[in-house]
Amino acid sequence: MRSASSKDASAFLAFDRSGLAMRASHVLVVILVVAAFGFAAVGAALNDTFYLRLATEALIFGGFALSVDILLGYTGLLSLGHALYFGFGAYVSALVLKETPSFWAAMGAVLAATLVFGFITGLIANRVRGVYFALVTFGIAQVAAKAVYNTRALGASDGLIGIPIVPINLGFMTVMSNAPVAFFLFTLVFVILLYVAAAYLLDTSFGRILGALRVNEHRVPFLGYSTHRARLSIYVFAAIIAALSGALYPMLRGFVSPELMFFTTSGNAVITVVIGGVGTLAGALYGSVILTVLKSVIGTMTEHHLIVIGILFMAVVIFLPKGLMGVIRPRIARRLRGGAR
Amino acid sequence: MTSALEFIQFVLAPQMITGLSLGVAVVLVALGLTIIFGLLDVINMAHGEFYAIGAYLALALGAAGINFWLLIVIVPLIMIPLGYVVERGLIQRVFNKPDRHVTTLLLTFGLSLVLEETLKVIFGPNTQRPPTPIPGAIDAFGIIMPNYRLFLILLGFSIIIAVALIVNRTALGAMVRAAAFDRNMAASLGVPASRIYAGTFAFGVALAGLAGVLLAPVFSVFPTMGHDFIFMAFTVVIVGGMGSIGGTVIAGLVLTQVQVLSSLVVSPVWSDPIVFSIMVLVLVLRPQGLFGRMGHA
Repeated sequence: MRSASSKDASAFLAFDRSGLAMRASHVLVVILVVAAFGFAAVGAALNDTFYLRLATEALIFGGFALSVDILLGYTGLLSLGHALYFGFGAYVSALVLKETPSFWAAMGAVLAATLVFGFITGLIANRVRGVYFALVTFGIAQVAAKAVYNTRALGASDGLIGIPIVPINLGFMTVMSNAPVAFFLFTLVFVILLYVAAAYLLDTSFGRILGALRVNEHRVPFLGYSTHRARLSIYVFAAIIAALSGALYPMLRGFVSPELMFFTTSGNAVITVVIGGVGTLAGALYGSVILTVLKSVIGTMTEHHLIVIGILFMAVVIFLPKGLMGVIRPRIARRLRGGAR
Repeated sequence: MTSALEFIQFVLAPQMITGLSLGVAVVLVALGLTIIFGLLDVINMAHGEFYAIGAYLALALGAAGINFWLLIVIVPLIMIPLGYVVERGLIQRVFNKPDRHVTTLLLTFGLSLVLEETLKVIFGPNTQRPPTPIPGAIDAFGIIMPNYRLFLILLGFSIIIAVALIVNRTALGAMVRAAAFDRNMAASLGVPASRIYAGTFAFGVALAGLAGVLLAPVFSVFPTMGHDFIFMAFTVVIVGGMGSIGGTVIAGLVLTQVQVLSSLVVSPVWSDPIVFSIMVLVLVLRPQGLFGRMGHA
């Protein structure tokens, strides 16, 4: 009796601790936002375009990595083909924008299309578990990427080029997608909103079911919850986050190519999440920034930057299984707890 | 009638024999993959790069004047210590973590990036092709076949049979199967489990290297050859049942036939999506693959 109640208490503490850890993630995201505003100010003062656009791309891929972390970190599902949804969002967005350069039409189309597409592919992917999930997502993405690669109507291997400049009407102001500072800040807000949506969802009772799924999948149905529905829901949610991030890509670069769906893109997102810290959400955003900085810094020295990134990635897997966030976040959490007392 | 015969003679039969040599090639790469998964439960994402290393070793040593027939022996022997070190130095470090599948997959994925890029640094990005060791072609029943491809099919089948015999008929193979079924029980019965693990990984890597030597004259050598080829090998392993040698052989031969024959009907660019669709279908309907795992009857 006694041992059971102390076990409950420690489980409760674990929950409380995870709440504290998430609050630490929020603090880290606020720090990132402040730093981004500083970066934008410097960029604007120096009249820079290149680095602002690079940083915008880092944020877009950060949003994509966020969706990989939702699956891997919160449900333990490693997707090796998540670029499928990122690329899907980018292509749908590009196709709509070529017809009519309306931001909201593109976003609406991406949302609706991904809901359907994510649901159908999710039904297939969620038939299997563990390592087979990784392989089936990989397989689905391969089929889709090859299909796009070979379809003339979608630009085949060249992709779609000539996406017009998009005016983003926010009601109180209009952001042009070719304005480096404004579009950077817009992307920042957009990705932070994705983060907030994900953090909120994972904090609801639905999010708790996901956590329970990861710990003991066979027990959850006994508590009266459908594991299948929970898993499918989070899969579709992650697909939508990835697709919405991808939808920004053609606005930034003016083109989309089949490479966006390839395994390299999926693999990059996994590297981003692992380096940043699995299951922290903030880690995905930090990871993307780190990876982009590393690539451009090492890229100026050698074209073989993948060696450095690969070694770093392996070192993180072996020595820092919780990534960068595993080092930083507990310190912030300790501060937060100290402050609460 | 004559047109049907001509179709068989000039289109169908050569295509099927090409498919057979491709199938043997894929099975050689997939064998190591499936054995490593069957025993260690590790998805070796770097397997394609070990295949590429084998091919590059053959290219470099061949250019240094070493005979092709010696290379078939030397290159796998060089690969064995490499595989052994990778298993001991990298995989064992994360082997006992709770999420073994994901962690080892990530680790070998990182390794594949490093190895591929290292090959680019050393050998440059261009495609190279070693000379064909057995030139010429034979004409059987009007079907013209390059000699080397026929040799590849024969040697490939011999290797496959040898591997199956080693795993299923020798004391060493029995130890491997025992360790695959229950590591702790096998260890307590005197099987040197950790050495068997590293040795099996090294054996799988050596097979990939051997495949690299044999296939270099047919498919050329380039830094990304590993991951271009490994997709197919993974598909074969999944469809055949991860860890099943027989399943790998059957799936490898059938899928490559699907690939070459489908390219007669539809544009060849669609043969890959067709094969991958079969893989997804098998995963959905029968996730464990068509045949069972190693060590599990």
